[in-house]
Amino acid sequence: MSESALERRYRRLLAWYPAAFRQQREEEMLAVLLAAARPGQRRPRPSESFDLIRGAIGTRVRLLGSRPPGQRWADGLALFSITAPVLLLAATVLEIAVPYRLPYRTRFFVLPRAFGPHPQIGGLHLLSFLPFIIALACQAVIVVLVLAGQRWLALGAIAATAGCWIANIYLVPELLQVLSASVFLLAGAALIGSPGPRRGRHLLTWRHGIVLVACVAGVQVSTLMYDAASPFIRFVTQAAPGSGVYFAASVALAAVSALLAASFRLNRYFVLFLAVMFYPYVLQLLPRHGSDDNLIGLPTPQHLTVLFLPALLLSLAAIIAALLPRRPPLLPSLQSGQPPSA
Amino acid sequence: MSPRAMQEATFLILTALAAGSQHGYGIITDVREISGGRVRLRAGTLYSALDRLLAADLVVVDGEEVVEGRLRRYYRLTPSGSGLLAAEAARLAANVRAAQPRLKLAGGTT
Repeated sequence: MSESALERRYRRLLAWYPAAFRQQREEEMLAVLLAAARPGQRRPRPSESFDLIRGAIGTRVRLLGSRPPGQRWADGLALFSITAPVLLLAATVLEIAVPYRLPYRTRFFVLPRAFGPHPQIGGLHLLSFLPFIIALACQAVIVVLVLAGQRWLALGAIAATAGCWIANIYLVPELLQVLSASVFLLAGAALIGSPGPRRGRHLLTWRHGIVLVACVAGVQVSTLMYDAASPFIRFVTQAAPGSGVYFAASVALAAVSALLAASFRLNRYFVLFLAVMFYPYVLQLLPRHGSDDNLIGLPTPQHLTVLFLPALLLSLAAIIAALLPRRPPLLPSLQSGQPPSA
Repeated sequence: MSPRAMQEATFLILTALAAGSQHGYGIITDVREISGGRVRLRAGTLYSALDRLLAADLVVVDGEEVVEGRLRRYYRLTPSGSGLLAAEAARLAANVRAAQPRLKLAGGTT
């Protein structure tokens, strides 16, 4: 077997290293490996393979905290700390502005008389509940504070708002309950674990804005689907009018959001936080499309664990990471301008 | 680098670079020679160590060249790398000076 086969096998082992490392070191390490190979050697020795894989894993661990600007863990948290409250406020405002209007044609003629001329789920009538108004105002305060870069005040406002939501859980639409819980949990951890919302504001670009708009649109459309597929609507109409369309639109918007986040190369930790934030929301959403199950309707410890364990674990990781000492900076530059002296 | 005792591989790499700049394979052969064949550095270990030393500003890249189509990158000690190696060598020498008379007292060999 030729040396090129050995080279190919070494390259396969070097592929374990992070791309940034390989870009700088692959050819150099390959030259060393080939120079150290025995004459006629056909494949890497087990000790070499073990050494390279161990080195690759160690390098990956070491580079975790020293990614390029915009891809760091702390930056992802900072971005999330500023965008998640905005997303939640936008979703809540849309719950008021774009309600699900009940169909007039039902099997019960009494529906319009019983529910008024424009029966709807969500909408302006939410503003007749004082706890909802207080919660909405608190959300607005959180957004103002994170935009102003007031980390600790924002954290206090999140704690107060979470308390308000918990105290009035049955006066708040179910999907907003789930979304709010994960936003408050993760945004709180992100505020503690990141350099703060000022850093997030500095990193924020129009790309984040576009993904945010797609996410908010997805939340609103899926809320309409959730309302259209509610047991009550199915009871009075013997169907779930529009829910199939809303469901398809929700899935499409979720896919668009994910594709945009990937194509814009947004901070991967920011995207991870968004995904974990939406995980309980999606779990809550899915059973409604086809059954009467409701994960949050009876919030048993098991339900809450299934819904919020990932968010809780990620929040703990964010806080623990903030307590760890800072890692060394990015992989040292290998630029050199001088010829070898020996 | 931390103030802890230096790992042997790190000490030998710094020692190999103390006489002048070397490329990766040169460091491996030099370390084997310095250690009397006892320490055989592998590429993964060498480059993990070099990355740490570069990050700590104990070594720097001193140039590169292409030999027979293969990239060679040269490394050399920085003043702080030399200082750290000298301090570690002095620490080891002091340990040796402390150990040898006691071994003589105990009837051991030196």
